[in-house]
Amino acid sequence: MRLTAPLAYAPRRGPLGAARPWIAAAFLMPLAVVAFTFANPIVLLAAGAAALIAGAGSGAGASVRGPLRWSIGLGVMVIAVNAIASQRGATILWRGWDLPVLGQIDVSLEALVEGAVLALRIIVALLVFSVWSACVDPDRILRAIRPIAARSALTATLIARLVPLAAADAARLEEAGRLRGPAAAPVGKAAIARRLVAGALDRSVDVAATLELRGYGLGVRSRMPRHRRVAGEITLLLCGLLSLALVIAAAAAGVGGFDAYPTVAADTDAATFALAGAIVALSWLPFAVESLRLRRRPRVAVGEAVRVG
Amino acid sequence: MAEPALLCEGLDYRYPEAPRLALDGIDLEIAPGEFVVLAGRSGSGKSTLLRAACGLVPHFHGGEIAGEMRVGGRSTRDTGPAELASAVGFVAQEPETQVVSTTVGAELELPMELRGAGAVETARAVEEAALALGIEALLERTTDSLSGGELQRVALGAALVTGPPLLLLDEPTSQLDPVAGDELIALLRRLNEEWGVAVLLGEHRLERCLAAADRVVALEAGSKVFDGRAHDFGSYARRSAPALATPVTRLFELAGIDSSPVSVKRAREELGGLGLLDDASSGTHIASGAAPARREGAALRARNLQVELETAEVVRPVLRGVDVEVAAGERVALMGPNGAGKSTLLRTAAGVLPASFGSIEVPGGCALLSQRPDDYLVRESVGDELPGAAGSAALAAVGLDVSSDADPRDLSGGERQRLALAIAMAGRGAGGAAPGLVCLDEPTRGLDRARKDELAAWIEELAEAGSAVVVATHDVEFAARFASRVVLLARGRVIADADPREALGGGWYFATETARITGGRAVTPEQGAALLGAERQGAEW
Repeated sequence: MRLTAPLAYAPRRGPLGAARPWIAAAFLMPLAVVAFTFANPIVLLAAGAAALIAGAGSGAGASVRGPLRWSIGLGVMVIAVNAIASQRGATILWRGWDLPVLGQIDVSLEALVEGAVLALRIIVALLVFSVWSACVDPDRILRAIRPIAARSALTATLIARLVPLAAADAARLEEAGRLRGPAAAPVGKAAIARRLVAGALDRSVDVAATLELRGYGLGVRSRMPRHRRVAGEITLLLCGLLSLALVIAAAAAGVGGFDAYPTVAADTDAATFALAGAIVALSWLPFAVESLRLRRRPRVAVGEAVRVG
Repeated sequence: MAEPALLCEGLDYRYPEAPRLALDGIDLEIAPGEFVVLAGRSGSGKSTLLRAACGLVPHFHGGEIAGEMRVGGRSTRDTGPAELASAVGFVAQEPETQVVSTTVGAELELPMELRGAGAVETARAVEEAALALGIEALLERTTDSLSGGELQRVALGAALVTGPPLLLLDEPTSQLDPVAGDELIALLRRLNEEWGVAVLLGEHRLERCLAAADRVVALEAGSKVFDGRAHDFGSYARRSAPALATPVTRLFELAGIDSSPVSVKRAREELGGLGLLDDASSGTHIASGAAPARREGAALRARNLQVELETAEVVRPVLRGVDVEVAAGERVALMGPNGAGKSTLLRTAAGVLPASFGSIEVPGGCALLSQRPDDYLVRESVGDELPGAAGSAALAAVGLDVSSDADPRDLSGGERQRLALAIAMAGRGAGGAAPGLVCLDEPTRGLDRARKDELAAWIEELAEAGSAVVVATHDVEFAARFASRVVLLARGRVIADADPREALGGGWYFATETARITGGRAVTPEQGAALLGAERQGAEW
């Protein structure tokens, strides 16, 4: 039996979990940039693999698997809709009906491939976000935002707390629905949703009261120091910046080109594979360096005397 | 003279659009370092008074307020809850809504950070609060991985970290097992004695906290009806508010002894002075109430039952080989510390969770009322929830006589609880009868004693009608009141299965107040009074 939490953050091993939020963002951003700027499947697959490596390297594999599963489901839907909606492409795979207003409905290879690329972009973007939410401490993000935008931080804190509460309430209401006797009126999703909304108002009032009591309304400027540098941050930052520079340069140079219409044409040259390889390698490098550092760390056996000085 | 920690003068308060005052002419003064227990039945105004003392009333809830309330010399009318938080810490009943950060460490740091404290000051305050509350091992944990008891301690830590001289708590033990509940009260006493923190504690289970209190204030319908020393409260409760009487008060009253001690130790001394229970470990034992006749056939049969739950990417065994059988007509109290597996056993019996290994059978069907009865009420009228003849039969089975047009939200707390149980039971028994097994998960949370007595009465009715009733509860006094058998779980295993006198008579934590006084020879005040009567007769002979 699995109890799922909507926000997957947990303190994790590895440089990504320990890094300051802005460094984690710098490391993951190039992958999100790839999802939004490149359509070449080789580059997109590399970005997806890089996100999975980052997740697995941080011990968040299971947290990333869930979003991966349902983003694939979403992707299949995108492919199906695009195949029907996009009436372009030279290679007709299936000649469909002649509908009154819409006209001839055909399914082309190019429309299917375009849908698959769109789906891949969505999957990569969701993977990057799921790695971020599983590895980066929301408290650190909010602490960083608070001095700059106190109201936004307040809203974000409220939401960050209400989301798991609402998820727990929904799970409880759903379970109570299953526990109703067979002669009781069945409970539909609408009734549960109505109760959930009504309950969410009470919950938000309670959480807001707690925030008020903690001192959110005081408007005092924090004197807490910034987080210290941790091991592995520099490698993470360098890899992220290098990856970003590569991605921008490649996009500017037209590496990894892709066109779905009129017929599918995707770059499969050495530059495209080099870009894909570099994206994967740069996402793996910080974890490899960290692993090496841990292996070289001096170990003290239990009971062994350590001489100091 | 030092400024009072809390001062109320003629305080009236009415919630927005409420027909009557929630607080009516309250005069109250709490001195620095005083430990005050706030008593009263459900709806008497305890929570409202606590919310007024931390500024949530009226700043957050709105409404109309008259009179004066000052906390640490500051008027709660002119000062908001955030500003007051340096003078007062507040811990509410629901621990889930009292944490706002992802990790425990960040939760304790937040109030300091929002007050502009520096790094050294914050680190020291967090460390000291964590050490004082015994939560230093939790600092790195995420708040969603904590149990209810741990969350309650974290909320207390966040309220204490700024070092407020006054601490307000609204039924903080309602979700805690007896061990955690007793430890929390001891902790509050230590904070009070060693750090001089004034405490105002709203609580239903008075037997747990009266011994720690310097003073008791009782409310009724928003008005103060008692304000005096803890050891005078028993006499007041006997005279004017029997629903607030603690077990020891009832024991002495039923035994005809004109005294109301507040602690077990004092009660033993007084009885010793009367020549009673001199040797508490021997002599007459009073049997538990007549055990119900075990009927043929098991209503619940679990064999080597194992259940695993997966949370935060970790699979955790919750039940590790439970063997238990419950016969029709039995009333079983399922007890044990937080996380022992009580709710999991009930949810598995109801078919909500699958068994990982072993077997569980409920031949006559199972109805489960979970910890929040309101979750079952999703429609606009009672008739919509329970339509037709089967619905009427389910209402009759729980003895609920309300109009089918009534809105469930307009019913009293007890009626809503019964309606929710009727919804869970509807159609599960053969021919409109109650199902073979009825399970209630922590049904006494937030109930005052009068409502617990009502609940015990209809549990007896259900059992007499042939259902086995299993109640997961932390409330030892309630278990002694209704149960014919107690099953004690710990770490997913059954560690004791006995009649209430044996199970609730001998332990340290899972023992009633009467059992502690009588050395386990009786567990309810009624049995204790009978025991004292028998001793007196023996002495006369």
